[in-house]
Amino acid sequence: MTNAPRRRMARSAAGAGLLAPALVIIAAAFLAPLARLFALSLTSTAGLFGAYRELATEDVYWIVVKNTVLLAVVVTLVTLSIGFALAMTLTRLSGGWRLGLFACIILPLWISVLVRTFSWMLLLEGNGPINRFLVATGATNQPVPFLFNFSGVMIGMVHVLLPYAVLPIYAALIKIDPALLQASDGLGASPMTTFGRIVLPLSVRGLATAATFTFLLSLGFFITPALLGGPSNTTIPMLIDSFVNERLAWPLAAAASMVLLAMVLGLVGVVARLVPLGSLAEAK
Amino acid sequence: MKRALGSKCFAALAAIVVVAPIMAVVPVAFSDRSFVRLPPEGWSLRWWHAFLSDPTWLQALTNSFEVAILSSLLSVTAGTAAALGMVELGPTARKFVTAVFLGPVVAPVIVLAVGLYALARSIGLVGSILGLVIAHTMLALPYAVLNIGVSVATVDPRLALAAAGLGAGSWRIFRTVTLPLILPGVAGGAVFAFVTSFDEVVLAIFLSGPRVKTLPVRIWEEIRVEYTPIVAVAATIMIALALCGALASRIVTRRPQ
Repeated sequence: MTNAPRRRMARSAAGAGLLAPALVIIAAAFLAPLARLFALSLTSTAGLFGAYRELATEDVYWIVVKNTVLLAVVVTLVTLSIGFALAMTLTRLSGGWRLGLFACIILPLWISVLVRTFSWMLLLEGNGPINRFLVATGATNQPVPFLFNFSGVMIGMVHVLLPYAVLPIYAALIKIDPALLQASDGLGASPMTTFGRIVLPLSVRGLATAATFTFLLSLGFFITPALLGGPSNTTIPMLIDSFVNERLAWPLAAAASMVLLAMVLGLVGVVARLVPLGSLAEAK
Repeated sequence: MKRALGSKCFAALAAIVVVAPIMAVVPVAFSDRSFVRLPPEGWSLRWWHAFLSDPTWLQALTNSFEVAILSSLLSVTAGTAAALGMVELGPTARKFVTAVFLGPVVAPVIVLAVGLYALARSIGLVGSILGLVIAHTMLALPYAVLNIGVSVATVDPRLALAAAGLGAGSWRIFRTVTLPLILPGVAGGAVFAFVTSFDEVVLAIFLSGPRVKTLPVRIWEEIRVEYTPIVAVAATIMIALALCGALASRIVTRRPQ
């Protein structure tokens, strides 16, 4: 008996030793940069919290925050709707069809966001295939301006984020006992009633997970809004980039980074009990 | 029957809408014009020749390979050790360490990029392969730890006890018992880390500096100004590599879906 606690101590020590290299990498390349940013955010010439005060008092920055949150909300709603339809379709397919559609949904996760965004630039151009199709079919008289505005950013982001919504919703839908749907149908409920009173309530956890993932990732998106958006679509990540690379305003860049990080961590704190965040790292 | 047919039609349409926009860039790489138009008006390999005879593009490709190979080796080695270490921890410590590893997954990449840039500037690591390797190792590490951890959890702990009872030391147990059992997870983690690094652009934009650019950084710089189909060649190479990665991962992990 006296050996048991000692053995447990030895195991914990061995575990800590094995964890050490990974924790050193995280400390040096994740925690240290964040600490450095926090320190930099306090170096404004206008006093200790000068950078934060400037961000809070200038209207331009509030517009950027509004842009970022509005974009994230719209992208999340659109991604959830399309994701739900795709997940429903997956549950109704079987065999090779299900595998095939599944592969098509997962595959984009492997491809660089930069490459996917570049493809959308080519597709959405004024002279691109989508506009030529719309003009040729008479849907519009002149090319629709998809690029460098809200619609372009939204299309690109929804496409990138779709798998993060489909997977958790599908995982929830597949657990619903088909007997429940048959029973509802047998008792005379319309497909709409069955959907509203059985499918939707039983998949609410999957929907919450999907919403969290898409919203969380939307807030931090940089490449897609920077390439597909216009000057009026500036988001917080683009603002941080311009502070560093154009205005060389390090305290502002660091303070804006801390604000973005706080928004993300605040959201994580609220949903952590409800949503399995770890599955974000298992998506592929 | 009717419902199944409707679902199949919708599935086919959805598959096209999801996959086609990614592949749109591929035909442009085979254009014979000097401007980008989709679909191209004529076909040629001239932009592939141009890519292969441009030392800056080739250097970027080499840099990408170097960074991806090194960061994938590092993250999988440290990740395997960490996944094995997690098993030895008590429940509270394990929860805490898992939360630490989830940090890089949830934190916005732009914040990490600016933080790493600020730190790397002060110690002269901007524009070095080493700086990029460290950054990409950090990014891939959580995925390696958590996914290799799934493999580790399936290993029966009695096997290691049996080996120890037969007199094997801990390194020998790892090499002959544990590693062969978790190898699919480790190999899958390595492929994933390689592709993560090869695809990564935000950290690389900030850490590259003027000299050590990776392939995505070159693409980013080109498409922000005027570009020719040579960018589509680079993008096509990235797509091909990612598809190889997806396939390799499917083969090594053989996860039934």
